[in-house]
Amino acid sequence: MYQVGRNFYSPSDPVEIPQHKLTLWPGFAVSITQFENRVMLSADVSHKVLRSETVLEFMTSLYTRIDRACFIQTCEKELVGLIVLTRYNNKTYRIDDIDWCVKPTDTFPKRDGTEISYVDYYKQQYDIVLTDLNQPMLVSRLKSKQNSTVEPRVVHLIPELCYLTGLTSRAISDFRLMKDLAQEMHLNPEQRQQRLSRLADNIQRIKEARLELEMWGLQLGCQVSLTGRVVPTEKILMQEQTCLPMSAGDWSKDMRNMKIIGVQPLDNWLMLCSNRNGELAENLLNCLKRVGGPMGFHIEYPRIVQVQESPMAFLRAVQQHVNPEVQLVMCVLSSNQKDCYDSIKKFLSLDRPVPSQCVLARTLNKQGMMMSVATKIAMQIICKLGGELWAVEIPLKSLMVIGIDVNKDDLNKGSSVVGFVASTNSKITRWFSRCILRNSGTDIADCLKVCMKGAISKWHKYNCELPARIIVYRDGVADGQLKMVVDYEVPQLLSVLTELTTNYSPKVSVIVVRKKCIPRFFTEANRSLQNPPVGTIVDTEATRPEWYDFYLISQLARQGTVNPTYYNVVYDNSGLKPDHMQRLTYKMCHLYYNWPGLIRVPAPCQYAHKLTFLVGQSIHREPSLELADKLFYL
Amino acid sequence: MMDTNLQKDDLTGIIKFIPPLYKQRYQFIKDLVIKYKPKKVADLGCADCTLLWMLKFCKCIEELAGLDIRENVMKEKMHRLSPLPADYLQPSERSLTVTLHHGSVAHKDPCMLGFDLVTCIELIEHLEAAELEKFPEVVFGFMAPAMVVISTPNSEFNPLLPGVTLFRHSDHKFEWDRAQFQSWAVAAATRYDYTVEFTGLGTPPPGTEDVGFCTQIGVFVRKYPKNGEIVNSEKHTEHAYKTVFKAVHPSLKDEKYLQNAVVSEVLFGADIIKRRLLGNFKSECKEHSDGLETKLKFQPFKYFMRCSKNLSLAETEKLDADRSMEPFIDGNTVYIPLAKIFSIPKVNQLCGTFEKLSKLIAGKVALSNDGSAVIVTIEYENEEQEN
Repeated sequence: MYQVGRNFYSPSDPVEIPQHKLTLWPGFAVSITQFENRVMLSADVSHKVLRSETVLEFMTSLYTRIDRACFIQTCEKELVGLIVLTRYNNKTYRIDDIDWCVKPTDTFPKRDGTEISYVDYYKQQYDIVLTDLNQPMLVSRLKSKQNSTVEPRVVHLIPELCYLTGLTSRAISDFRLMKDLAQEMHLNPEQRQQRLSRLADNIQRIKEARLELEMWGLQLGCQVSLTGRVVPTEKILMQEQTCLPMSAGDWSKDMRNMKIIGVQPLDNWLMLCSNRNGELAENLLNCLKRVGGPMGFHIEYPRIVQVQESPMAFLRAVQQHVNPEVQLVMCVLSSNQKDCYDSIKKFLSLDRPVPSQCVLARTLNKQGMMMSVATKIAMQIICKLGGELWAVEIPLKSLMVIGIDVNKDDLNKGSSVVGFVASTNSKITRWFSRCILRNSGTDIADCLKVCMKGAISKWHKYNCELPARIIVYRDGVADGQLKMVVDYEVPQLLSVLTELTTNYSPKVSVIVVRKKCIPRFFTEANRSLQNPPVGTIVDTEATRPEWYDFYLISQLARQGTVNPTYYNVVYDNSGLKPDHMQRLTYKMCHLYYNWPGLIRVPAPCQYAHKLTFLVGQSIHREPSLELADKLFYL
Repeated sequence: MMDTNLQKDDLTGIIKFIPPLYKQRYQFIKDLVIKYKPKKVADLGCADCTLLWMLKFCKCIEELAGLDIRENVMKEKMHRLSPLPADYLQPSERSLTVTLHHGSVAHKDPCMLGFDLVTCIELIEHLEAAELEKFPEVVFGFMAPAMVVISTPNSEFNPLLPGVTLFRHSDHKFEWDRAQFQSWAVAAATRYDYTVEFTGLGTPPPGTEDVGFCTQIGVFVRKYPKNGEIVNSEKHTEHAYKTVFKAVHPSLKDEKYLQNAVVSEVLFGADIIKRRLLGNFKSECKEHSDGLETKLKFQPFKYFMRCSKNLSLAETEKLDADRSMEPFIDGNTVYIPLAKIFSIPKVNQLCGTFEKLSKLIAGKVALSNDGSAVIVTIEYENEEQEN
């Protein structure tokens, strides 16, 4: 097997996805740790994604797909910034520019001063014959490691000899590509088990492997069987009724025709659409009113403004017609143009803080989907106005739950976006959301302190007292950062609380959340392996003896094997029994309003994630605090 | 032999070869390989495997072997001889196996039999007397490759090298002048039926030509071509070397990789044809628009060519006239005749013959009921919703 990073792959058994020029190498991610009772080998199936497309092939296919007039521009936009791997050695380079004037038949000076053409050089050194003598050159600037003031060395690379690496954001947003990829990479429990057993078998069977283990006095035993618990299904509380969902993790059907908990009526709002989408917009409006009624959401007729097709026209119309009394701005966009979307979101988050809802015309065009689309949109609008959709029973009084996530800013590579979302009522249906930008590399403890102060004061404003219990779910902790969180962040957060007023000592718990972990759990049912049911908790055998940690499966996996979420309680003076802590965490996974079902992490973390996603992709600045008590980012 | 640029720094009198002499030696070997195209090449005293790494790129070589007495030096850099990820993505046409052995040139091991070229670059001067004595018998007598290249320092050049008092390197056991090397070489050649020619690298500065080259080289060629069997009076089956590294590079000669490559190209090509039929492509026949793009010389060659070098003119004409080569849509399936698939340049190049194509895709690519066309189903796109 071939080692790439910390994992091992089999390049000799590749899985090809030829339509997208992707190759997958099946392999394993492996780690050996001391668990509760013994030392265990954790292994999970991992796939390495390689692109078997050279830059030249990429350029060629781009050339046939788009208008020739903007080929150069589009090519540069797509390629500059990408990392490529050269065919003849294992080096990677960043494409900084494309030189359209240099060809492979041109010459460059060698170290001894003589000139040689690129064609000849590659023939001589690597016995490679270039087939396209008209291709442009990729330019990469290599920074000198020692002296940063020295002019970086410039290297020319041949597109034919460079492979693209990684999945660009264009690829990730290519729905079909991700679907085909998922099909190959997602294994159901039986398949996953088979691959892992084969690995264990091979380690036992192959002499060299077994001898290596024996040299250390180790022997590979059999797969571990353990007992977990399943938490009972949660009841979903609506305005007048309570429902116990038919299928544990999904209550979208049960919720139909039930009133949501509460929302202000939508009286004063604005709808923008391009001239040719006027009819679509009308349809949408009618559907919204039809679904709004049963939900308990009163929607008045908006002010409709028709604009021209261009993104600038939309922005101008927004600037012109939005005043502070407007509750919501809805834009029906005719195409998925990021620039248009970004500019609207920026203006309405920074300059004139008003919640906004953008819908693609294409979505509204789908036959027979209009009602379900309208339902989803109505629910999002309710959240953006600060409304509450549903709740679960919370057995603790005066509890504030906080979620924290950290993401990268897409535009400013050195910037991190920190999201902080805290509940503001004891039913845990309303939230305070704050987002701060920071330089990556500096710790974020002071951001968190500022956010914490803001959250506490909001809580105090709505409840006339300070919260007696605070639980923090910290997501976005990278490998190796755990110690920093425990030793530095936690004390900083606690110091905010003690500094607030005298005699204030709430019961605090800080839990680090991990979405990606190696262990997977299966149940045996009907002689085959299946995914365990939602609400399964594992806190023995597979957890660490010196930590207070547990795994929770809070996700419905329709395909493949379910991913458990790992929780590590790093600070706790609450006195809560572990069983209660686990059940409370499970309850938190029911409260994400953008999805009428269970999600993988506690709701405040997912809200924080969504907030940082919006800011990191489109807004790139801290949104106005006027929007802090609305879920404007859903 | 390369043109050597010799620089003599007038201030300090230091001689510097450009390119450095060790590189020139490796290039000398590479030039020989390009000229004679040996299939099996061994480097005795391969050290950090730089020469082997360079030779890895010579397409004519199918087997590369290295031998050295120092295991840790080899192990440090042997990863350079492993296949690269790109080699798996685009396997080369020839197969290549690279092996590294830990052992001494004074010992015989059958793994070194049957080679076309054996190189000993700056090796013999590191051998102890006892090893040197066994060297000719092991290399010329036992291994008996078609060609041997030995390079060693020419001690007559030493006075021109500053800082050299006795030997150029502390591990050298001896350094010969031209007469000594040549007499040793001729004796070995005569004894084991080889011819030998002498040359060298690193010309001395003007005025000192009489000292000879800095590095002297002997190129030995076996006189009598070997017949198929290995004729050895002593059937030597004992293995004296330990294999430290072995890498088999993926190649298209391996049916598994060939099939993989062909199936991938067929599916990729089929997908492009399908998308073209469904009208997602802009027409390829659009002419250049009003000189805007005349600056752009880059014009990717057409994906489908009408003439393939594997089809005769008559066959091509027949295909042109043959309407059944055109793909068509029936319901939600696209049918692409195999003949059309075969006309895709990459597929054509990989398979060579139509029969080979049929054989390779059997069972791996969905075909129509009568097996004459590749079928691709049309799916509906289901985009995610914006919010």
